[in-house]
Amino acid sequence: MTAALTLDGLTAHYGTTKVLDDLSLDVEAGELVSLLGASGCGKTTTLRLIAGFLAPTAGRIALGGTDLTRLPAHKRNIGLVFQNYALFPHLSVRENVAFGLKQRGMGGAERRAKADEMLARVGLQDLAARLPGELSGGQRQRVALARALVIEPPLLMFDEPLSNLDAKLRVDMRVEIRQLQRQNGTTSVFVTHDQEEAFSISDRVAIMDAGRIRQLDTPEVLYQRPANAFVARFVGFENLIPLRVAARDGAAVTAEGAGGATVTLDQDVLGPIPDRFVLATRPDGLRIAEDGIPATLGLRTYLGRSYQYRAETPAGAYVASGPLSAPRDMGDRVHLAPWAEQCCILPDEAAA
Amino acid sequence: MTGRLHPGLIAFAVAVYIFLMGPLVIVIGASLSDTTYLTFPPQGLTLRWFERIFEMSAFRRTMITSFQMATLSTLLALLIGIPAAYALNRFRIALPSWLSTLFVLPVLVPEIVLGFSLLRSVQVGAGVPVFWALLIGHTLIVLPYAVRVVSAALASFDFSIEEAAISLGSPPVKTFFTIVLPNVQAGVIAAFILAFITSINDVSVSLFLTGPGISTLPIQILAHVEQFFDPVVASVSVLLMVLTVAVMAVVERTLGLTFLAK
Amino acid sequence: MKRLAGWTMSAPATLLVALCLIVPVTATIAATFVTGQGPFAAYAAFFGSGFRRAVLIRTLEIAGATTILSLLIGFLTAYVVSRAPPRWRSILIIMAVFPLLTGVVVRSFAWLIILGRNGIVNNTLVGLGITAEPLPMIYTQGSVIVAMVYLFVPLMVLTLVGVLENIPDDVIQAAQSLGAGPFATFREVIFPLAVPGLIVGAVLVFTGSFTSYATPQLLGGERQMVMGTLLHQRAMVAFDWPGAATISAIMVAVTLAVVLGMTRVAKRLNPMAT
Repeated sequence: MTAALTLDGLTAHYGTTKVLDDLSLDVEAGELVSLLGASGCGKTTTLRLIAGFLAPTAGRIALGGTDLTRLPAHKRNIGLVFQNYALFPHLSVRENVAFGLKQRGMGGAERRAKADEMLARVGLQDLAARLPGELSGGQRQRVALARALVIEPPLLMFDEPLSNLDAKLRVDMRVEIRQLQRQNGTTSVFVTHDQEEAFSISDRVAIMDAGRIRQLDTPEVLYQRPANAFVARFVGFENLIPLRVAARDGAAVTAEGAGGATVTLDQDVLGPIPDRFVLATRPDGLRIAEDGIPATLGLRTYLGRSYQYRAETPAGAYVASGPLSAPRDMGDRVHLAPWAEQCCILPDEAAA
Repeated sequence: MTGRLHPGLIAFAVAVYIFLMGPLVIVIGASLSDTTYLTFPPQGLTLRWFERIFEMSAFRRTMITSFQMATLSTLLALLIGIPAAYALNRFRIALPSWLSTLFVLPVLVPEIVLGFSLLRSVQVGAGVPVFWALLIGHTLIVLPYAVRVVSAALASFDFSIEEAAISLGSPPVKTFFTIVLPNVQAGVIAAFILAFITSINDVSVSLFLTGPGISTLPIQILAHVEQFFDPVVASVSVLLMVLTVAVMAVVERTLGLTFLAK
Repeated sequence: MKRLAGWTMSAPATLLVALCLIVPVTATIAATFVTGQGPFAAYAAFFGSGFRRAVLIRTLEIAGATTILSLLIGFLTAYVVSRAPPRWRSILIIMAVFPLLTGVVVRSFAWLIILGRNGIVNNTLVGLGITAEPLPMIYTQGSVIVAMVYLFVPLMVLTLVGVLENIPDDVIQAAQSLGAGPFATFREVIFPLAVPGLIVGAVLVFTGSFTSYATPQLLGGERQMVMGTLLHQRAMVAFDWPGAATISAIMVAVTLAVVLGMTRVAKRLNPMAT
């Protein structure tokens, strides 16, 4: 069972503070979409609205064509996996998993069989009689997952489900979650603040900020071609260099910036370049070179595969990199040039 | 935890709160009645029963004794309870676990049994004078508040702060007063208030330890009610309620009323 | 070094409890076994007296009824308080704290005004012509129970609000997301998780009402004597100290049995402890 989720113009307030601003999102049937952002960006609010723990001030939620907006939480039939697992501490692992089935009026024997079958799928068949308090964090998360999956919901939602696990377990669990989700083909919404987690697990990722989605796309596009400065910074393009085109020669574009900066860019690699734009680069995408942007080097740090430098330029402070073979000292006056593979072109938001 | 509540449940809770507040309102009403017997609603309004309290030496004397007892026993309990609470938290590993149970004992033993036993062993057996036996009894029943409430405050105190102060050259005893105590101030104030109120209101221990010429206010109220059914006791009760309001106002000022909500 | 410092600081309080509580109470209890007519003669005398047996049974009845009524009223009220909007919740909690801080004597005395001959209930009944004469309501077991329930409901409410607020929101939301409606959530999640707290509350109320003095004295008098008033009467009116000591020992035994027994049950039932 699976269904498409539609959020249409959702707005939500806590008291008088607007925490979600006209948010629309379509999740296709069987797709896993992550909501990614820092705390306070509205991702958890979105999840709570879909789950029915919070009422929107405006907008509409629909699942498989049915309007959920006014339905109480217990009638929405959405599987939820909580950050703190939220297992019932007084019920055994099996009873926890069977809880949703019981609410659906399923008989004792059938309930037990289905719960045990689901526990076997998450590898916990031997712990069915234990209480949640006797389990490790990873085991608890598996119970929570089994409990949400066993009701065969058309929509599964995860609220930072891995943030309480240690690093190694986190990676294992996210693979496991993705596999179970793929097998069942359940439409899923995954809330996280961890970029690596979101990118590795999702079909598409919505990067959120201040109650709005800043960009919704596949992880590949988000990582290579962010659409705006916020998303660019979020995915690691630390240097945002405002430039304007001075000359075009076929695909080659020469652009100039503050303090006599001159760089040459290739539209075949970077895509079409408007007359005014911002060049965003990761630290690896801004390298010490013969010409380009004049800069004075600051503190040098050793990163194993290269050196990283703080660099002062007339346009501002940037982070650049240089080869291990030629370490530079603080105060050296150099030029920095972009390296296309770690760069992207953003519209000039100040001008727009 | 908010959400929809069944209207029947809300109505029930409203009824319970009327049940809780009603009798206190009735006491206030009865204290104003211009009759020689207790009645509600009051017939005629007068403040003369409040004046009567202060004309009656038995009430005047017992009020003073009650305040003395509450103040002295609370201070004494804090004086010995705070170091004990500190030791229980700071040196927990070095001390046996039953030690913390020991300070809860006065709550566990029925107060009335404690009162009778103090009469037998301390007042009559050891010949301790009435005032001092009463003080011992009150200190014992308020000690658990001093130890437990201050302990709870110390439990969330990070002792590395104390070590930091000592490493910066502050002597240990001075550190206790300048660093530890200010950080558990809320606990000390709460302990003081709870202890004071407990002592002021005590009946069961005082019952056995009051003697000729020395009695406490609650015991005097009981004795008065047995002989007279006039509104004086209602007036005294109102005064005690005013004290409670005053205490809650102090809590409001120092800790915030949400403190009570914990 | 730490051991010495720890002992030194806790010594005054330890000595006070040891010398002025443990020694006197132990002496009281020990005295009941030293009677000259064998170690259990005092208890044989107590249980041999129909009057004293009746007092013990009455006390247990009053304490039991008070506990059950306080549990019911307290739990439902605490449930409403814990789910009220935050502003209301603080007001309701303060309104429960106020009677708790007001003394036992004042709160018991209030019921004399309500239930007495010229009390509000009798005035109303006579005024409406329901009865010709004021009904004797004080000095009955019912009046003692009503006043005791009044005494202990605030304590129960405050204890249980704490317990209910400790139930994590997400556990309740998990139940809802799995299809449990408000009633099923209450029955299958909230109530079972509150049971340990209900036991703690029950122990507080039972021991408190079993050992109470002022309330049964004011509202029960000599006609409804309970263990507390009997102890006082034996010790201070009849000067029968051995008799009073026996009553003391029985009160301690019942209190300890209830406290230890129920905390054990509560521990076993508390899944949060593990």
